[in-house]
Amino acid sequence: MPETSSLIARLREEGLAAIAAARNESDLLDAKGRFFGKKGAVSGILKGVAGLPVEERKAVGERANRVRGELESAFDSRLAEIREKERVAREGRDRLDVTLPGRGPIPGHRHPVSQTMSDIISVFRRLGFSVQGGPDVEKDYYNFEALNFPPEHPARDMQDTFYVESAGGDLVLRTHTSPIQIRTMERMKPPVRIIAPGTVYRSDSDITHSPMFHQVEGLAVDRNITMADLKGLLTEFCRMTFGPGKPLRFRPSYFPFTEPSAEVDIQCVICGGSGCRVCKESGWLEILGAGMVDPSVFGFVGYDAEEYTGFAFGMGVERIAMLRHGISDIRLFFDNDIRFLSQF
Amino acid sequence: MKIPYSWLKEIVDTRLTPPQVQEALTMAGVEVSSCRFLGEGFESVVTARILEMRPHPDADRLSLCKVTDGSTIYGIVCGAKNMKPGDAVALAKIGARLPNGMEIRKAKIRGQASEGMLCSEQEMKLAESSAGIMILPADTAPGMPLADALGLSDWLLEVEITPNRGDCLSVLGVAREVASITGEKAVLPEVPLREEGEPIGGLVRIDVSDPDLCPRYTARVVTGVTIAPSPDWMRRRLALCGIRPINNIVDITNYLLLELGQPMHAFDLDRLRGPRIDVRAPKESLAFTTLDGSERSIEPGMLLIRDAVGPVAIAGVMGGANSEVVDGTTRVLFESAHFAPSSIRRTARRLGLSSESSYRFERGVDPAGTAYAADRAVSLLSRFAAVSVAKGTIDVGGERVTPRKVGFRPERATRVMGREYAPEACREIFRRLSFPLVTSGPGSWDVTVPTHRFDIEREIDLVEEVARLSGYDTIPTTYPESKAPDFSEDDRFVDLQERAFDFLRARGFSQAVNFSFVSGRTWERLGEVLGFDPADAVRLKNPISDETTLMRPHLLTGLLSNVADNVHRFVDDVRLYESGKAYGTSYVDGHFEEPRLGLILSGKRLPGDWSGANAPADFFDMKGIVEPLLLHLCASPVHVVPTRTRPFFEEGKSADILRAGEVVGWFGAVRRELLASFELTGAVFYGEIRLREATASSSPPGQYRVLPKFPPVFRDVACVFPIGVPVGDVLAMVRAVSPEVEESSVFDVFTGEKIGDGNKSVGIRVKLQPLDRTLTDAEVHSIHSKIVKLLENRFGGKIRTS
Ligand SMILES: [Zn+2]
Repeated sequence: MPETSSLIARLREEGLAAIAAARNESDLLDAKGRFFGKKGAVSGILKGVAGLPVEERKAVGERANRVRGELESAFDSRLAEIREKERVAREGRDRLDVTLPGRGPIPGHRHPVSQTMSDIISVFRRLGFSVQGGPDVEKDYYNFEALNFPPEHPARDMQDTFYVESAGGDLVLRTHTSPIQIRTMERMKPPVRIIAPGTVYRSDSDITHSPMFHQVEGLAVDRNITMADLKGLLTEFCRMTFGPGKPLRFRPSYFPFTEPSAEVDIQCVICGGSGCRVCKESGWLEILGAGMVDPSVFGFVGYDAEEYTGFAFGMGVERIAMLRHGISDIRLFFDNDIRFLSQF
Repeated sequence: MKIPYSWLKEIVDTRLTPPQVQEALTMAGVEVSSCRFLGEGFESVVTARILEMRPHPDADRLSLCKVTDGSTIYGIVCGAKNMKPGDAVALAKIGARLPNGMEIRKAKIRGQASEGMLCSEQEMKLAESSAGIMILPADTAPGMPLADALGLSDWLLEVEITPNRGDCLSVLGVAREVASITGEKAVLPEVPLREEGEPIGGLVRIDVSDPDLCPRYTARVVTGVTIAPSPDWMRRRLALCGIRPINNIVDITNYLLLELGQPMHAFDLDRLRGPRIDVRAPKESLAFTTLDGSERSIEPGMLLIRDAVGPVAIAGVMGGANSEVVDGTTRVLFESAHFAPSSIRRTARRLGLSSESSYRFERGVDPAGTAYAADRAVSLLSRFAAVSVAKGTIDVGGERVTPRKVGFRPERATRVMGREYAPEACREIFRRLSFPLVTSGPGSWDVTVPTHRFDIEREIDLVEEVARLSGYDTIPTTYPESKAPDFSEDDRFVDLQERAFDFLRARGFSQAVNFSFVSGRTWERLGEVLGFDPADAVRLKNPISDETTLMRPHLLTGLLSNVADNVHRFVDDVRLYESGKAYGTSYVDGHFEEPRLGLILSGKRLPGDWSGANAPADFFDMKGIVEPLLLHLCASPVHVVPTRTRPFFEEGKSADILRAGEVVGWFGAVRRELLASFELTGAVFYGEIRLREATASSSPPGQYRVLPKFPPVFRDVACVFPIGVPVGDVLAMVRAVSPEVEESSVFDVFTGEKIGDGNKSVGIRVKLQPLDRTLTDAEVHSIHSKIVKLLENRFGGKIRTS
């Protein structure tokens, strides 16, 4: 009996020491196994209680149970300590720097001219127009003659034309997207409602002129199309493109293929109308040309000018992109400098 | 065209101020792009006279002047030396702010007070530079505002005339516009004449042999002329309008060109042989020297003015050196004619010679105005020179000038414009325009259009007059009746492009836009490397520079030079795409062009990556963009096959993309020689897709297959092949071994000594997926053996066992 008592006392000392010395969970489990687990020494003593003399059974059992309880609670608190310590250590070790860049390609940038053109197209598609394209290398007939620019007419000087070497000698680089009007009307009977984007070419180069640039053209022909409709449509377009509250001004102008013709000005987006260098002190910016389809154009495509009326309009995409983004030199668009492109 | 407001006001005494004139004309379709006061900055500058001058006691370069403006005497310190007592000068008083921005303050210069400044022409921005102060004409009265003394208390309007409005290329024409807007009257200056000379018929004979090209020819003669400078006011107006004053005769013709829009020519009558004039086009080519000293080759059909012997002027374009007015000229014939616009334009264009005259004749000069202009010329000349005016005018064709009649229905104006135009309102507009009208039927009129309005021939032209003079601001805004538009092929194409752009953007590509023209010289020089076929080239006849001579046969060079430019600007990782056309005479439909999408890639595989994935991009990075892009555009399946026909790629590192048997694109590593000529050292990968062909049909919608209920089995095989074996073919054949093979993929490829030169090791993973049962070991083994046999027998592979 004294041997058993001292054994229990020793096991208690050793067990508590092992628990205290455990550096991690597995040390701790190891200590549990040795001292008070199912096969541990203390458990062994408890199992052996039945074989003890009756008078000793109670005392030994109570003592062993008490020691096991003590060891278990020491184990639990040590376990909690170790887990907390490990959690703290792991957190320090595994914590991610969430401010580092993510993995994958960095998105590129849309060209501002192309973006502006897309935006213009989608406005008009929402307003009921469908897209039509046409060739860049165009016949003189479509670029000029059928648009009511007779040969030897000064109106041809309005557009410095690039001529293309060809057997017939009648090919040009289109100077505007208006030939698409003719090509479309040749193919379709009214009603016609098209929007025609494209690349155009004029032999002119400076800070506001590029030998290649982009235009978007629109055409609507039906029985009851009026200039008031044109005004309504373009007012809506400008509202959607430049935002509400920007006054517009329609003033008479001249294009061979429309009559009456109009130039549409928007109140200067830079100075708000008080006058600045961009608007040449006028407070207004020209943004598009428009008008009612000239009856002689209908003559070329076989439409009856008494029965049908129509309107057409056209705008320079670069000019609108320059105004939207505050770009002052058109040549920047064609440098494809990534430092420029990445601003949009 | 520049128009001084004072001149305009001589013809239409308008109540509008210059800025109001600007606004009114602009809103009526005659755009006034600028309107400025010429005396800006002249406010406190007056004329003055120098009373005395003495040297500055403490500075050699300065003088002390006493000047008077007629009422006060000012002490001025002046740095110039070009004046003397008695001279009339320009005095800027204290507080003046000069055109060059200088402000005049009371100052002490080296101890001497200066109560203003004597101005130079440079300081008044009248000249680029000046040697000393401005000395005014001796008879200038002191105390006048300088602006008045110089005729600069005036406004200058700059008017932009559209090609249809040739009638507005003059002070008179613009004055008529003002009158049409305001309802005021445009009145021609009176032309008092004293015809004291011989009858003109005795001095010269005039014939018009080609009346179609010259419907009217009017002439007057003056004698007793002394060639001299014109009066100051005329010289000043000419200079303001940008015409250099020459002498009293030439200046008058130019003055009337500006005032009336009637080009005139002055011949020295004594240099006209005959003396006679014949207006006719030659039948043969000939050489002729114009008054600018250039020899011109005249072709048959170009209208000439001839004398008894030969040509003396190119009609309506430029006079000849042999008949122009010279210093000793005493007898002058003024020509005032009307030439057919298209004839003048043809001649001017052929000769590459455009003049103020030809510019106006091309756009239409009023045939009714020739006689008045001739009268005004001699009348003006008589005002400031002692000349004798020959009796009468020669006027050939004057009787043929008749105004046009054009039908008009007020209802039509309403129909086109979308607002009501009452007949009364239309009538009022035509009255202001001085277009008489008569009723020709119910609701329709015959409107008589004066001969100066070349642009009005049809009803729609009159509708425009009514609309513009009523103001476009009176047109309401309505909305066109609409139905849903037809969805066109081009709508689909636009959407497709947008999808491609979004995809590429997400993959790190930015969009480039290059010119469609390229340098033909570069393409010829690099022809072999670029695969340039001169026979297919679309070339420009009149390029603007060497860089714009050829329409690009493909998109590579533009993008490649963009890469070079960016790399040279220290941007090393470049990913660009461009959507544009390629051109060649062989393309279908006579259009010589097709839409392409070009992609270019150089630099790191994953720019900006910090975790070790930033190796240089290679061929497979490009393939990894192009194939998924086509998939994204529903342009699958495609086949990638090696190509040798594209010399701009490195051999063995380039491929064609086939879809339904057609080549729809290509990609590869750009050939080193080409990179070198763009001064690029790193590798560059390029791909180009024929966008329309690639997407000609959409992939059919996916069809559902029953999902497997049994687990798949994976088998890995490592095999060494001769290096030329295409793994794509291997994978395809492995898939065909048995219906249970659902997938075959590559998980590893390498070469090296370990497996022997000329070999490559390929790791292939096979996924076996039965649909209706679990595969037995025996079945799996049998399929595996078949695959091994295929690899060994068909592709010469050796299975690696380690
Ligand atoms: Zn502005």
